[in-house]
Formats: sequence, C-alpha cells, structure tokens
Amino acid sequence: MNIIPQIVANSLIAGSIYALIALGFNLVYGATRFVNMVPGALAAIGGYTVFFLFNRLGLNIYFSVIAGVVVAGFFGYLSDRLVFRKLRSHKASNLVSFVASLGIFTMLQALISILFTSQFQSVLSVTENPKTYQILGATFTWVQGLIFITSIAAFVSLALILKKTSFGKAVRAVSDDEEVSKIIGINTNRLISWIFFIGSCLIGLSGIFIGFDIGINPTMGLFIILEGATASIIGGIGNVYGGFLGAFLLGFVENFGILKIPGEWKPAIAFGLLILFLIFKPEGIMNKKK
Amino acid sequence: MFSIQTKNLKKHFDGVYAVDDLSIKIETGQITSIIGPNGSGKTTLINTLSGLLEIDGGLVVIEESEKLSKITPHEIPSFGITRTFQNIHLFEQMTILDNILVVLTDRQVFRAIFETHQTFHLKIAEEVLTRVGLWEKRGQLAVNLSYGQRKLLEIARALAMDAKIYLLDEPFAGLFPEMVKIISGIIKELKQESKTVILIEHDMGLIRELSDYVFVLDSGKLLAEGKPSEVLAKREVIEAYLGE
Repeated sequence: MNIIPQIVANSLIAGSIYALIALGFNLVYGATRFVNMVPGALAAIGGYTVFFLFNRLGLNIYFSVIAGVVVAGFFGYLSDRLVFRKLRSHKASNLVSFVASLGIFTMLQALISILFTSQFQSVLSVTENPKTYQILGATFTWVQGLIFITSIAAFVSLALILKKTSFGKAVRAVSDDEEVSKIIGINTNRLISWIFFIGSCLIGLSGIFIGFDIGINPTMGLFIILEGATASIIGGIGNVYGGFLGAFLLGFVENFGILKIPGEWKPAIAFGLLILFLIFKPEGIMNKKK
Repeated sequence: MFSIQTKNLKKHFDGVYAVDDLSIKIETGQITSIIGPNGSGKTTLINTLSGLLEIDGGLVVIEESEKLSKITPHEIPSFGITRTFQNIHLFEQMTILDNILVVLTDRQVFRAIFETHQTFHLKIAEEVLTRVGLWEKRGQLAVNLSYGQRKLLEIARALAMDAKIYLLDEPFAGLFPEMVKIISGIIKELKQESKTVILIEHDMGLIRELSDYVFVLDSGKLLAEGKPSEVLAKREVIEAYLGE
C-alpha cells in the first residue's frame, strides 16, 4: 500500500493548522516586534468557548464557532488595551513585554484549568464517528477538509486585505515604521489593538480546529505557540506570507520525518528544523538578509 | 498671522534642557529656518512640535487658536502639520507608490477595511511622485532606492499630506547638487502656494537663498532672530557656530 498520499494529506492538514497560528502570530509580531505568548492561551480559549457553548450548553455549532473566534479575539484585544499598550507608552523593552505576555499566558491557562479542570476534552461528538472522504488514495475527515479550506481562505482573505485595502496598507505601515505611521496620522495604538483582535481570532480558530480534530486541554497553548513561532521563524518572522509557507513546510517535514522514526519524535523534528534555520538562514525563507 | 508659536516651551532630558524656555513665532506662508550648532535643540524642537517628544513645559499655539500643552503625533495631520526626518524614515518594505497611498488612507478602521484605492488617490500619488521624479519607479520597494531618491520620496510623502505647515529637518543633507535643486524648487513652490515651511539646515548658502526669516538656537535658547542677511552677520551667531 502506498502511504505517500496519506502522508501528504496529513502534512497539508497539519500545515493548515500551523498556518492559522502563524498568520495570527506574524500579524501581531509584525506590529509589536516581540514574541507574544498570549496567543497560545487564546487558542485554548477559542477551543474551550466552543466546548462550553456546544458541548455544555448545547448551542448551535456554527454559533459556537463564531463565538469562540470572537471571544479569543476579544481577549487578545483586551490584552493589548490593558497591558501591552501601557508597556508601549512606557517604551518597555521586548524582554519586559515578553515576560508580561508569559504572565498573561500562565494566568489564562490557570483560569481555564480552574473552570474546566485540566483533563483532556473532546469537543465535537462527530469526531467519535467521523465522516471520511478519499482523494487520490488519501483519507481525511470532513473536519480535516474544513481545516484545510478555512486555512487557505483565511490566508487569501488576509493577503487581499493587506495588499488591496487601506486598512492593510496601514497595518503594513505600522509593521514597517511605527513612528512615521503616527506622523502620517495613523492612530497606531488603536490599529495595533485591532491587529491583536484579528490575529487572536485566527489563533482562536486554530484552537477550535485542534479541538475538533484531536481535542483540547488547558496547556495546549504552549505547543500551539511553539509550533506557530517555529513556522513563523522558518518562513520569516513578521512576514505573513512567509509564515504561511513555513507552516506548510513544517507540516511536511514533520510528517515525512516520522516515516522512518517513531511519531514521538515529531516535536524533535520540528525544533531540529528550527535550529537548522536559526543557524543557516535566521531571516527565514521570505525575509531579506539585513 | 502666525502658523506656529511656542510660548516658554521646554524639553529636557535627565535635567539637561534641549529646548529651554523658547518663545518664537512662525509666520504663515513664509519659509522660516531654524539654525544653530550641533546640539542646539533644533531637531528636539521639531520632534516636540510634531508630538514625537512630550512637552515638559510651556505651550505650542497652532494658527493662533489651538493652544496645546500636549501633542499626540497621530493628531498632527489634523492640525495641518507634516514633517520629514533628519535620518530618512520610509516604509521600507512597501513600494514607492504604496508609501504615498498609505498617506491617503481612511483612518477609521471599519471604513479602511473596505476601502480600496480609488482613481483620485492614484491621481494624487502620480502628481506628487512626478513632482519628485519617482513616478516611473513607483513599483520598486523603498528599501531599494538610493539615498537621494529616499530623501525625495520622503518629501513626496509630505506633499501628499497636503499640509499647511511643513517641518523639514535637514532635507538637503548629503544630496547631490541636482537633487538640492529639485528640493529647493519644491520648497519655493510651497511658499508660492502660501504654505508655511519650517526648515532646519546647515548650509548657509541655502539658508540665505530660501529663508524669509531665521531663528538661531544655542543650547536650546533663542540666540538671535531676523532676516537671514542680518542674523548671519551677527557676531554672537558666528561665535556660536565657531564655538568661540
């Protein structure tokens, strides 16, 4: 039996989830220039919001997903309004901002554990009996197909917004030079808060999809942020297009890597790839060497 | 009528006054130069007027109506002010055209998400980029421009703002004579359009050629003011420049 089509499908699905994380991570990193841990916790918040509304309250799944995305976005927005905006006004160093984000991350993770226990939870009942499809010898569930399509749609939408709209130009301007952005009249604080909202929505969506695909637990955020950061660094940190590319490369390398070695080594493959990039191409695939 | 007045303006860094109790009046529609030796507080003044540095004391009065003890940088375009920088600041990873179009964008987030650039945006961009000779290169990334072209793009961005007051911080520094000619031409045109230009410059020939009025700063204080020919002949000004 040829297992290559299945590995390609698995790579695309993993890459799709990493891509959503990397899109959100890079969007926020581009505007703020520090490694922010909060999005990791926001992925868990997205997943747990759906779990609460759909599994516990029995609300409609589509409504629950939209609510999960918006709640994650709202927490991201709030983290900027309450903490990071103040740190920016005090011209805090990247290290201080990183430590603050670690604090928020830990706090939110603990809050989820208190509210929902630290047990692993299955979000979607259909995952117990998933409907499957077959294309070119690869089998995937409808949730996995949805993950792939949504990821591509999110990337295309974001790329079009960044390239074609006034909002996108303002986002790129703030990522490029915050000082000049202010001088030309952009309220950079307000824009960055919106960037946090949009980036957090994307990461919240990735958390929901992980919940659909494999389930959720309060500490899932650490894995998510590490994978997102790895994909971003490989593709070119702060570069939305690079992050997308890096995510799929990571997905392929991980899944083809475990062809010959046990699956437990998957994270080692990911971080091995990261180390290789940090040594030989630290600017990533899409960024130019400075 | 005055475009900008400072009243006892103060800006200090760790107790050292870079702008010290400065009261000046910049007349509307004129080219006013601010000169002084290095460290005299010229750029600090411009940074304070454009909100990049907080005011530590005194007031800035804009067009005799807005009295400000605090200036937020993103609000300065609403007062009709724009500026260029001593060290060129561009949106490096954006194209030349986008460097101009971003100036013309809607500032309301929701409207901006759905706003794509219209013909009139492109017309303004074409006009200002043609004026500085960069329209043909509009597709290039700003990072790939030469030093002189970067200066010109910065000027073009300021022109696209269609401001009433232009704060130009050493716009001629390090330029070839042809480019000096282009920029001095633009500054003269701004005056013809009744715009106010505040110029920081070290080249005394250009100061004489362009300025209607000159303020001389030394250690953040006003040392002299008046017409260029009178001010540049003053003994205390010459001494300040020579460090005597």
